[in-house]
Amino acid sequence: MRAWKAALLINLALLIGVGWGYLFWGLRAGRLEKDLAAARAAAATVEREWTAEGVVRAILPEINVMVLTHGEMPGYMPAMTMGFRAASPKIHESVRVGDAVRFTVRGVPPNVAITAIEKAR
Amino acid sequence: MYALGLAVRFTHLGCSVLLVGSAMVIVLAGRSDRPTAHRWERRMLAWSRAWALVALVSGLAQLSLQTALFEGRATALLEAPALARVLFETQVGRVWLVRHSVLVLLSAFLLVDLRVARRADWRAARGEAVLLGAVALVPIAASGHAAAVEPGTAVAIAVDGVHLLAAGVWAGGLLPLALLLRAAGRDEGADTRPYAVLAARRFSRCALAAIVALALSGTANAASQVGSVAGLVGTPYGRLLLLKLGLLVPLLGLAGVNRAVHLPRLSGDGPTVGRPAMRRLAQFIVGEAVLALGIMGAVAAMGATPPALHDAPAWPFSFRLTTTALEGAPEAATRALVGGQVAVLGVVGLLAATALKGRRLPLAGGALVLLGAGAALAFPPLAIDAYPTTYLRPSVPYQATSIAEGASLYRANCAVCHGTTGAGDGPGGRGLPRRPADLRAPHTAQHTAGDLFWWITHGIPRSGMPPFGGSLAEAPRWDVVNFLRALSSGYAARTMGPVAEPDRPWLVAPDFTFAVGPTPARALKDYRTRRIVLLVLYTLPGSRPRMAQLAQRYDTLVTLGTEVIAVPTDAASDAVGRLGAEPRVFFPVVTEGAGEIVAAYRLFATAPHAELLVDRQGYVRAIARGSGEAAEPNALLAQIAQLNEEQTQAPAPEEHVH
Repeated sequence: MRAWKAALLINLALLIGVGWGYLFWGLRAGRLEKDLAAARAAAATVEREWTAEGVVRAILPEINVMVLTHGEMPGYMPAMTMGFRAASPKIHESVRVGDAVRFTVRGVPPNVAITAIEKAR
Repeated sequence: MYALGLAVRFTHLGCSVLLVGSAMVIVLAGRSDRPTAHRWERRMLAWSRAWALVALVSGLAQLSLQTALFEGRATALLEAPALARVLFETQVGRVWLVRHSVLVLLSAFLLVDLRVARRADWRAARGEAVLLGAVALVPIAASGHAAAVEPGTAVAIAVDGVHLLAAGVWAGGLLPLALLLRAAGRDEGADTRPYAVLAARRFSRCALAAIVALALSGTANAASQVGSVAGLVGTPYGRLLLLKLGLLVPLLGLAGVNRAVHLPRLSGDGPTVGRPAMRRLAQFIVGEAVLALGIMGAVAAMGATPPALHDAPAWPFSFRLTTTALEGAPEAATRALVGGQVAVLGVVGLLAATALKGRRLPLAGGALVLLGAGAALAFPPLAIDAYPTTYLRPSVPYQATSIAEGASLYRANCAVCHGTTGAGDGPGGRGLPRRPADLRAPHTAQHTAGDLFWWITHGIPRSGMPPFGGSLAEAPRWDVVNFLRALSSGYAARTMGPVAEPDRPWLVAPDFTFAVGPTPARALKDYRTRRIVLLVLYTLPGSRPRMAQLAQRYDTLVTLGTEVIAVPTDAASDAVGRLGAEPRVFFPVVTEGAGEIVAAYRLFATAPHAELLVDRQGYVRAIARGSGEAAEPNALLAQIAQLNEEQTQAPAPEEHVH
């Protein structure tokens, strides 16, 4: 065999090697990312439930809002201070500002409401 | 085990470098029909085969040693599952896989006896050997220390790759070139002499470019892996680098002599000048190759040593040079300035001596005297005492918990002599040989955290300062150092008012963690680069009107990128409830961690109500003591707007250790 042909073949083999590496690691990573995105999108259309701990910061029954500083809700939002609607007016009456609470929200994000709340500890 | 690992690394690196170098020299020399040149080429090819096989075997050994290291047990050396895990699931393993696939390819290519009679075939075959050798060598960068540089990983790997390639071309080419010159210098090698001269000239040009690339990439590597003088002289990695540089100086000297003296003589009169010069050149190049081998030994050891940047440096000298020694000492400053100018004159003289033709020696001698005199004049005032721990970074971070712990240790152990405020006026200090230091004074800032740590650990001889190394463990001693740092910067901060000085960050805000009720803990550091933080230490009921004011403007503050963190000075766990339902307070009110925050930040502001404005880099920029001094909401917003506009990029506070 002529040497230049051998060199060409080897360079071809190198390129194939790079391509194989891409197929093996690159595509797998790409597929995982796609699956993750799909799973996230699917999760966004189903009704789900989260339970978190928090502190009551304000109770505004006139607009049906309770402001809570709460921990992370996995797959929904990180820890933050924000207002939630309550599923029933009774929820506003069961706690006071400053109480440490454990609460449950339910719904299809971003339409969620507090369905249960109780004082922690 | 360590020695074995080192030997394997050295062998593998050496063979990989030689593969690139020998293939490169063959390409540079070109094709020749002369018998001697032909013999040399075939011999180099045979050796390359051997090197490729040794590289593969030592690579396998390196992989199993690495696996044993990862698994933490020596028996994992030959376990297939463990090897597979390393190969497929770690970056080191993947790089290994790629490199050794290429090495196998290269060995196969070298073993096949190719017909290279035609020019195109010869070029393709020899060029392919260079390419494969380089592809097998360069990825080492992606499995070494360069791959752990953050941020800028890709750049660090690329720079290290250039370093490796240049080393392959230069260091790897020395031995093959020396062999060619030796063969051509013999009686029977006369046919190949013009060929060898041409090869040496081409290699010389190529090596010069490689040395420049090595110097540039090596400097960049050192900056990202060592970073400081203390790291260079005080860590094993830094000392290996010094060893490498120490071997490099004679190597460059030999290379310079070869290029300036021997290379031009090759073209002189054959038997009287050319041949002796050729033999001499071959000897010198072998010398270069031996030094290069030594350098590769140092490199193999560096690869197995933690980089200086991630190691604790032990300063080897009893002094260090710093310009902070001149603060408040005008005479010393003048002396250092004059000495510096004299030394600069000396440097100018040396430069002139290299540029001039005649009278070089007297000029250079005079310049050296000037340089020495200047240095002798300038250095003493710049030198201050240093200790092995001087450049040690605190193993306990500068955080509120550590400062609070340090404060209580200070009260128990130090206050009796240094005084409760740190002024050096404690009752126990009277009658000591030396007055206890005023720990608040600015000179405290001249000393590194490591200096303070040394004095606390070992005491100060003949002064009355006792050693605490026996009674306090390492972490508590760092707590005291952190407290002293907060104490002295708090004392300096007494001039800081409620109005932020533009573009002048200097007071580091100690980090702290806090939680509101049962929510997960957050740290002040989490807000860095993202939010300005207004830290409010409040005491009810006095602070109530101000808290109402802040609560009302909270939405505007948030819009301007500011978070308010309220800390009750009484550290009550029901602080949110005690603030009440009206006005509605939505910013974090700390219910856990308040005690430590108050203990640390009380060193900056003692008033019952205090507000500290922390910028995005993590520096305290304004302090309001008392709700009366706190800026009206609009003035506060104006200050925040001003901080938002600042362009200054201060270094991250952790690197700012005094």
